[in-house]
Amino acid sequence: MSTLCVSISRELVIYKCMFKNPTGKGGNMAPDAIVAEELEYVYGELVAVNHISFNVAEGEIVGFLGPNGAGKTTTVMMLTGQLKPRSGKAMLLGMDIARNIEKVQGEIGVCFETTNLYEKMSAIENLNLFARLFGVESFDGSALLARVGLQGREKDRVETYSKGMKQRLMVARSMVNRPRVLFLDEPTAGLDPTSAEGIRDIILEERDRGATVFLTTHDMMEADKLSDRVAFMNQGNIVALDTPLNLKQRYGKRALKAIISNKSGGLEDREIALDTPGTPEAVQQLFSNENVITVHSEEATLEDIFISITGRGLVE
Amino acid sequence: MNWRIITALVSKDFSLFFRNRFFAIVTVIGIIFYIVVYFVMPRTVDENLEIGIYAPVMLPAFEEVQHEGLTVQVVKSEEELKEGVIEGDYVAGIAIPADITGGLGTEQKPRLNVYFASDVPDEIKDAVEFLIRELIYQQAGQALTIEISEEILGPDMMGMQVPPRDRIRPLLAVMLLIFETFGLASLITEEVERRTLQALLVTPVTVKNFFVAKGITGIGLAFIQTALFMAIVGGLNQQPLIIIITLLLGAVMVTGIGFIIASLAKDFMSVMAWAMVALIPMFIPSFGVMFPGSVTGWIKFIPSYYVVDTVHRTASFGAGWGDIWLNLLILVGVDIVLVWIGILALRRKSR
Repeated sequence: MSTLCVSISRELVIYKCMFKNPTGKGGNMAPDAIVAEELEYVYGELVAVNHISFNVAEGEIVGFLGPNGAGKTTTVMMLTGQLKPRSGKAMLLGMDIARNIEKVQGEIGVCFETTNLYEKMSAIENLNLFARLFGVESFDGSALLARVGLQGREKDRVETYSKGMKQRLMVARSMVNRPRVLFLDEPTAGLDPTSAEGIRDIILEERDRGATVFLTTHDMMEADKLSDRVAFMNQGNIVALDTPLNLKQRYGKRALKAIISNKSGGLEDREIALDTPGTPEAVQQLFSNENVITVHSEEATLEDIFISITGRGLVE
Repeated sequence: MNWRIITALVSKDFSLFFRNRFFAIVTVIGIIFYIVVYFVMPRTVDENLEIGIYAPVMLPAFEEVQHEGLTVQVVKSEEELKEGVIEGDYVAGIAIPADITGGLGTEQKPRLNVYFASDVPDEIKDAVEFLIRELIYQQAGQALTIEISEEILGPDMMGMQVPPRDRIRPLLAVMLLIFETFGLASLITEEVERRTLQALLVTPVTVKNFFVAKGITGIGLAFIQTALFMAIVGGLNQQPLIIIITLLLGAVMVTGIGFIIASLAKDFMSVMAWAMVALIPMFIPSFGVMFPGSVTGWIKFIPSYYVVDTVHRTASFGAGWGDIWLNLLILVGVDIVLVWIGILALRRKSR
């Protein structure tokens, strides 16, 4: 069961969501991995995060979307213990982050957007260092590097790596301690399509292992494909949080698009909205038309939905 | 305090320090260079004052003065005398006129020419002039009606002056110590600027672990090199425990300075710039040891004075705990203040 609190503020529909079973995985009551209650953070006069509340269930992948400056990174920094909220409370795996920072940080893995590896050390040395910091016993760095496609380059200094290789190493580093909660900030940025697909597979594997994934990305397709739920953040507020499917159904335009040849031999587009009273008749009429060349459905993208909710684009 | 984490961080820092080609080369070459400099410096002090004399008629008093550190070199002409002064064969050349014996004791004033090289200090000029007057008085039978009583305060260093190589030893030790502020500040600045610090702080590494690890790295780098240098150049032959403790406190001092520089600097170049501002004054007390009398009491406001003074007095004169305890106490105080300021400044920067 879930509790959904909706308030309307100007044009923005602001969800203060308290989902208890949001994953849609057969109705199991998964315990919460992350609980944020009225989190607030202020940089001087600027309210970066404005009293946001949400829950993330264990084993869930939540995509965290929003334009630059929306407050995503600040939220992640509060959840990973890098920033102390001005007000509100954040819990991770049942522990109050502010009071159990060391324990919490032993259970999480963080992949930053900006590369921050020790460039004069090799990949395996980077991983071994973090394994020592986490106190991981019998750590197999080579296996982890092979998992992200860096086998054969383990002993090369990171400064000799390409941007994509560094990114893959960042992902590997975030998994050194087999974290129960993974925070991934643009994990596929700068990767070629094959490598990006490999990282997405790893994210899904981590979820299948039982890890919770908090994914910050600008890649709508990626968020759509990976996330059990997505949260839209805008100007410090979470303006929507739901499964991609629900969001599309709620906000997206649903239509059929067809290309039809006309009497003069030319082509013309025809669009039939799927949520109007006359839809069944219109669809029937379309398919009885012998001149239909192609028909396809039009589905809203997450970006369309974000624009429709906030009136602004995701990448600004 | 999690020592597993601290050990991992320290070994990482040492590894990164020596993988930085600049610091690795400068560290190794630096220590070799300082040791070579020490050993090529004179190991003895020439306490003789050498003067040249041109005298067609040599006065007996001048012949008898070649004792107690005065060497007289007799030349054949006044031109040769001048050349010897210019060449630095002796500090002063005295040309005694041929008719001096006839002139002494009369109302005539015989004229003696004394030649000095342009860089001879005033004290030497005064000493030579005083010497001549005394000898002439003796020659004329008019000895001074005073008796000079000499009393040496402290150990009489006659015949056992501190050789130049031992005078430069504190300077070289301080240079080795202080150079490590570059390395430490650079390591910390890189951690902040390349955001590896951020990566560390989302693991069980705490800010306290980080500072302790950096402190151990800084102290270790500075202390090991300086202690090694002192051991090789014989600086630990007297009162080794005092010297070791002094160097350790000196290493803590430069670690505090390294923290402060790291909090101010943004990259390697700014580390260099800030380090120069901080470090040049730190060398000044060493010059006081190399050139006694060249500095005044204000150098006691420079923290490195207490390292230099303690090392010099202990290694060169065998000073004991009773002589240098105050220096060590002040050093401990200075260390606490510098490290505290450094940590506060760095904490602010790392937020």
